[in-house]
Amino acid sequence: MSEAEVTSPPTLHLSSGPHIASGRTTAQIMWMVNLSLLPALLWAWAVFGWPVLAITASSILGCISAEYLACRIAKTESTVPDGSAFCSGLLLAFTLPPAIPIWMPFIGGVLAIVFTKAVFGGLGYNIFNVALVGRAMMMATFPVEMTTRWLTPALGNVDAVSSATVLAQIKLGGQEALNKILAAVPDGGHLWLDFFLGMRAGSVGEVSVLMIMLGAAFLFWKGIIKLYIPLSILVGVALMAPFSPAPTIYMLSGGIWLGAFFMATDYVTSPITPKGQIIFGLGIGLLTGIIRNWGGYPEGICYAIMLMNILTPALNDWFRPKRLTAGGAPS
Amino acid sequence: MSLFSWRNSALPTFSRGGVHPDEHKELTENLPIEDFIPTNVYLPVSQSLGASAEPLVAKAAKVKRGDVIAKVPGGVSLHAPVSGIVKGVATGPHASLVYDTVITIQAKPSEDDPQFPEQSGWQALPVAQMLECIRDAGVVGLGGAAFPTYRKLSLPKDAKVDTLVINGSECEPYLTCDYRLMLEESEKVVLGSWLIAKIIGVANCVIGVEDNKQPAAEKLRQTIAELGLDKMDPPVKMTVVITQTRYPQGSEKQLVQSLTGRMVPKGGLPLAVGVVVQNVATAIACLDAIRNGKPVIERVLTVSGRGIQSPKNLRVPIGTSVEDIIAHCGGYAGDVVKILLGGPMMGRTIADLDVSVTKGTSGLLFLTAAETSITHYQPCISCGECVDACPMGLEPNRVSQYMEVGRPLETQQFGVKECFECGCCSYSCPSHRPLVQFMQVAKAAYRRQERKTK
Repeated sequence: MSEAEVTSPPTLHLSSGPHIASGRTTAQIMWMVNLSLLPALLWAWAVFGWPVLAITASSILGCISAEYLACRIAKTESTVPDGSAFCSGLLLAFTLPPAIPIWMPFIGGVLAIVFTKAVFGGLGYNIFNVALVGRAMMMATFPVEMTTRWLTPALGNVDAVSSATVLAQIKLGGQEALNKILAAVPDGGHLWLDFFLGMRAGSVGEVSVLMIMLGAAFLFWKGIIKLYIPLSILVGVALMAPFSPAPTIYMLSGGIWLGAFFMATDYVTSPITPKGQIIFGLGIGLLTGIIRNWGGYPEGICYAIMLMNILTPALNDWFRPKRLTAGGAPS
Repeated sequence: MSLFSWRNSALPTFSRGGVHPDEHKELTENLPIEDFIPTNVYLPVSQSLGASAEPLVAKAAKVKRGDVIAKVPGGVSLHAPVSGIVKGVATGPHASLVYDTVITIQAKPSEDDPQFPEQSGWQALPVAQMLECIRDAGVVGLGGAAFPTYRKLSLPKDAKVDTLVINGSECEPYLTCDYRLMLEESEKVVLGSWLIAKIIGVANCVIGVEDNKQPAAEKLRQTIAELGLDKMDPPVKMTVVITQTRYPQGSEKQLVQSLTGRMVPKGGLPLAVGVVVQNVATAIACLDAIRNGKPVIERVLTVSGRGIQSPKNLRVPIGTSVEDIIAHCGGYAGDVVKILLGGPMMGRTIADLDVSVTKGTSGLLFLTAAETSITHYQPCISCGECVDACPMGLEPNRVSQYMEVGRPLETQQFGVKECFECGCCSYSCPSHRPLVQFMQVAKAAYRRQERKTK
C-alpha cells in the first residue's frame, strides 16, 4: 500500500493488554522463600551437626522425587524447577527432631507431596500446608522417633542425647518440671535467651527464633509475606500464654515462630484479604494454645494451622475486598 | 505491599490498588513534537465510539484539507487531513474493528490549502454554537476512548456539575505525547480548558498531572497566571494538582477521586458527582474547533519502544499508516515481537502494518522480547497480588478460577462487570495468568446471555 519498503517482523504476537509484567514469578517467590530459610538451617547445622543436613537432604529428595513422578504420571511439564516442592521438603525437615533416622524424612516427603499436593492437582490446588501434613503423617507413622530423637545443642561437639523437649517436660511435669529445668540453667545464663538464640533441644528449624526472624525479615522486605497472619498468630498465642507456668518460654518455644512466619503464610492455603488473614491468624494462635494447654500434645501449631487451612475457602468468601465504588458492596 | 497500606508520598492519589511499572518515558520525554506528513493517508471511517460512519466521497474525488469525507448520521464527522485525490474507498484494516471501510487519499499539498486562522469573536460564541463547532470538527476523546466530545459536553438539563477535571496524567508507560503538548502548547491547553469550563458552566477547573511530569505542571501554572483566567469572561479558577505517579491515575473514576475526593458510584459517570473529565489533547482540539474552525485532522502520538530505531513524538495526519511511521523513524531496532497502538497496559497489538493512526491513537510502540511479557501461565497460587493491585477492589483471582472450570456466569459476584480492563491484575500476577482476558471473556458471556433473554 505504501511506498516505503518496510516488512513486518518475522513473528508478531497478538494479545490484549497488559503487554508488560511486574517481573516477579512464582518460581522467584519460592526460591526466595527457600533462601530465607538458610539462616535457620545453617544455625541448626552449627548446633546439631551433620545429621541436620542429612535429614534435610533426605526430606527434600523425597518431596522432589514425588513431585517429579507426579508430573510424569499426569503427563505435565515438571514443576520441580519452580522450587515449591523443594520448599515443602525444606520446611518438613525443619519440623523434625535432628536425630531421626535418615530414611524417615524421605518417606515423609513422598507422603506429603502425594497426598497433599499431587492428588489435589499440584501447585495451587492443595487445601493443606504440604509440609505440615507430612509432619502429621510422620507423627502417626513414627511416633517414637518423632518425639524422642532430640539432640542437645552445642557449638562444637554435639552430644547425642535423647531427651524430651522443654515443652514436653513442662506438659508432663508442670511447675515442678519447670523448676528443675530452671535450676539446671548455669549461673549467669537465661533460659529465654537460649530459646531466643537457639541453644536448646528442638526440631531442626524451630530452635532459633532469631534465625527465623532474619529469614522472615528478608521476606517482608521483599514484599513476599505480609504481617497480618504472623502477628495475629503471636497475639493469639500470647492470649493463651498466661495459662502456662512459663509464659515467656511458651512464647519463644516450639514451632510458633516457624509456623507463624513460614507455614501459615503459605499463599495457597491462607486467606487473601487482611481481615480474613487476621481471623485466620488469631484462630491459629488460639487453637495452638488450646491444644497445648488442654490437648494431648506439648506442641500445637502444626494442627492449629491445618485446622485453619480448612477454613481458608470460607474466610475468602466471608471477608471480601472492599469495592471502590459507592454502593458496590460485595453481592 | 506492606503491613498497612501506607503511601510513600503525601501527594494525592486514588484510594486503592494500582501499580507503578517502569516508566520508559526517558525514551521520548525530551524530544520536541515533530511533524510528519506521509504521501498517502488511509482513513478508516469509524473513528469514534458509537454508530458507524458513512463515506461521503468516491474514488478520484478531489478533496481539500478539512473537507468532510465521512459522517456518522447526526454525529461526528471525519475530515480530509490533507488535500489530494481520493485513490480508493474500500475495505481495509482497522486498529480495533479488524476491518472497516477505508478512504485512501494521495496527498497533493498546494499553496491555497486552508490554514485555519484564528476567528474573531470566538470567545463570545453562544454555548450551543460552540457545541456544534466541536461536533462538526469531529472532536472525540483523544486520550484513547474516542467518545464523541460534544455528547460528553451536552449535559442533561438536571445535571449539577461544579468541576471540570482536565486529565494530564498520561499514566501509561512510554507515552509522552500529552506531556509534550502540556509543555509546548500550554496556552492552548489552558484556553481549551477554559472553553470547556464555559460550555459546561463551571467556575472551577483542576488539571491533574502526575508527579513524574513536574515541568509540565510548572509550565501550566505559569501559563494560567499569565493568561489571567480569573479575569476572563466568565472567570474560571484553574489549578494544577500534582498527583502520585501511579497507574491507572488517568482512569476517570480514579482521577476524580484523586483530585476531588469524590467517589463515582457503581456503573455511573463522573457526572453523577458533579465532575466532567477531559483529556489535555481533547481540550486543545476543542480550542482548535471553536477558535480556528479547525477539525481533528491530525494528532500527536508517541512512537517508542526499544524496537524502533529513533523514538519520536510525532504530529501526523489522521490516517498515517504504521508502515510509513516505521520508515520515518528509521526502521526497527532489535527483535520486535509486539507492535501496539496505545500504551503497554491497555494498548492493542496489531499484525498488519497497513493499520493506520486513528483519532484515538496515543502511542505506537515497538516492543522487543526483553520489554514485553510473552509466556505460559501457571495455576493461581492465591498470593492476592491481583486483589491488592485492582483499583476497583475486584477479585480477578476468583474470576480466573471460575473461568478455568467453565463457569463464566457465576463471576458477577467477584465484580466482573465493574472491571474496566486496566490490566493491573495481569501485570502483577507472578503466575502470568491472563486475568484481564478472563474478565473480558466473562463479560462477553454475560452480554451473550443478556441478548438471549431480551
